[in-house]
Amino acid sequence: MIYGTISGGVYALLALGFTLIYGVSGVVNLAHGSFYMLGAYTFFVFGALGFFGSDPMLASILALIVAVIFVGAVGSITYRLTIHPVIGHDIAVMVVTVCLAIIFQQLMLLGFGASFPRVSWPKGSFLLESTSIWGVSVEYSLILAFVVSLVLFASLLVFITKTKIGKAMRAVSQDREVAMLMGINTKRLYMLTMIISAMLAALAGIFITTSIEKSTGPWLWFRPLALSLTIVILGGLGSIKGSLLGAFIVAYAEKTVAIAVSEGGAIVGVVPLAVIVVVLLVRPKGLFGKRIEMED
Amino acid sequence: MVIGYLRRAYSSFAAHVFDVPPRLMAFLFLMILLLVPVAGVGPYYLNIMIYANVVAIFAASWDLLVGRTGQISLGHAIFFGIGGYSSALLFKYYGLPIWVTIPTALLIGSLAALLLGFPCLRVKGPYLALVTMSFPIIISNIVKWSPLIDVFGGELGIRSIPGFFTFLPVVPTNQQRIAEYYFTLVLLFASSVLIYKIANSKTGIVFVSILDDELASKACGINVTRYKLMSFMISGLFGSLAGCVQAHLLKVANPPMFELATSFTPIIVTFLGGIGTIYGPIVGAYIFTILDRYFLTDLLPRLLRDNFQVTLPSGYEYAKLLIFTLIVLILVIKWPRGVSRFTTDRLEDLEEARDLDERGPRIWKTYKKKKEKS
Repeated sequence: MIYGTISGGVYALLALGFTLIYGVSGVVNLAHGSFYMLGAYTFFVFGALGFFGSDPMLASILALIVAVIFVGAVGSITYRLTIHPVIGHDIAVMVVTVCLAIIFQQLMLLGFGASFPRVSWPKGSFLLESTSIWGVSVEYSLILAFVVSLVLFASLLVFITKTKIGKAMRAVSQDREVAMLMGINTKRLYMLTMIISAMLAALAGIFITTSIEKSTGPWLWFRPLALSLTIVILGGLGSIKGSLLGAFIVAYAEKTVAIAVSEGGAIVGVVPLAVIVVVLLVRPKGLFGKRIEMED
Repeated sequence: MVIGYLRRAYSSFAAHVFDVPPRLMAFLFLMILLLVPVAGVGPYYLNIMIYANVVAIFAASWDLLVGRTGQISLGHAIFFGIGGYSSALLFKYYGLPIWVTIPTALLIGSLAALLLGFPCLRVKGPYLALVTMSFPIIISNIVKWSPLIDVFGGELGIRSIPGFFTFLPVVPTNQQRIAEYYFTLVLLFASSVLIYKIANSKTGIVFVSILDDELASKACGINVTRYKLMSFMISGLFGSLAGCVQAHLLKVANPPMFELATSFTPIIVTFLGGIGTIYGPIVGAYIFTILDRYFLTDLLPRLLRDNFQVTLPSGYEYAKLLIFTLIVLILVIKWPRGVSRFTTDRLEDLEEARDLDERGPRIWKTYKKKKEKS
């Protein structure tokens, strides 16, 4: 249950980026998982090379920041070069983003080979020790991941509801053309959203790989992609509240099934997907999605 | 009398095919395809062409559903896999011959499409895309599930199912491959003509009206539900045809048939060729397969080795897919309407020029002049 809560928090972070970019620009970014993977890899590179001095804790925190910024930059460049020319054409966007995902996968294969580098916080730091909450032993790193995710989530919510840019984002997601008429630079806004989304994915990637999965690999992008799709559909595309709720539902469902069915991991992946099919049959636009309008 | 018939048939053929540049192109394309084995292409390369035929059927079926009816499906692999698995299972449990299992598999495939179509009716747009994407993942997990390993064979799949034309000799020339090639080509021709006819019939017009505006077509008294399900069924039928042909060609039905890569093959192919055209995916399938399996796998390394004494490093396997994906990406961004549409647009310009002044040999000149003016 506790593990479920913690993974729910990080999954929410992962799904938030996905739902944000969809909500603002209508891009179904199937390369979202790649940004997650890229984040994990850059963290691994900078952390392992000892780029930032000898103090391991400081080095890994710096590595984290560098990785997040780097992935943001990569996200903006790929957006400008590839997604921007086809924006507005649903299937073309999906094809392009899947191509991007495969390109990143192959780049990782070329750069690091088909191995699974171990990613973790530096040895001996307090993050690897565990404490017990209600009788369950939990590592501090998990708690850190959970807390950071929630703080980021809350601050993003504030950013979107209170600041001027956030207002512009909501305006664009409601009606792009009118927003343009009101003098909002939609191109720049899309770019900004993409950067934020990529950064969130990278951060989630670092947290999940260091604290939960402990390793990374070139095929890492698919599972988070499936996860964020599930969560986002469950909550309703473009809805932030929905993605938070969806993340917790999926995390609990996963853990429950993993405990209940002893027959192995293969079936665990099915359950969230089966859940979304059922949910969509009952509520075609997700739990918190926009109501179906007459003119779609 | 016979000669008269032939002459009339020929003149009508000439009027309908030779006079319309795109059709002439299609005709020449078919002729080239028919001549491929005669030209002494080896069995290895024939295999590539056979695969291209199967992909073309698969992509054309996707195009009918997505390009014509507008029901975005990212999980077309499910029909491919269901076709292959049901044919293989029928053989495994009942020992039925190939000409019984394939039609039954087609029936099962279209029934499955009908069943999957019902939940898909409720969702639209990106939701539909993501729901359809989840179906093959669910099924493939069930297929791989260890308690059912006796039924589905787990990761290895169902092996040693019968192939086509096993009675033909393999030496000295591999007649088996040639027979398979012609068989798949005939299947491709038949199914693409069928799909094209359906797409251009009254039903096909209704499909396009659903793509354009579902609400308006509903308001016009069209039973949208029925036509959507019909589109799903036809698409599922041809999708499972491609799947079971592929399974019998490789003599195995395995979980990769349900993979995401299988779902995305028709999408990439259709985008290369031109979405919503039916003939586009077929062109795209050949471009895709030849680029992937011949040019990058075979020709390029060989040329580099023979002419420049460059042996490619071991990382080339990974770089190959990278290069391939980059090419696809650039093609999709530069020509979002597809290669075949680009070509036919050019050809139709040409046709217009000929209509203006009936001077055959000077088509190119007038075309150029027209270009310069504009």
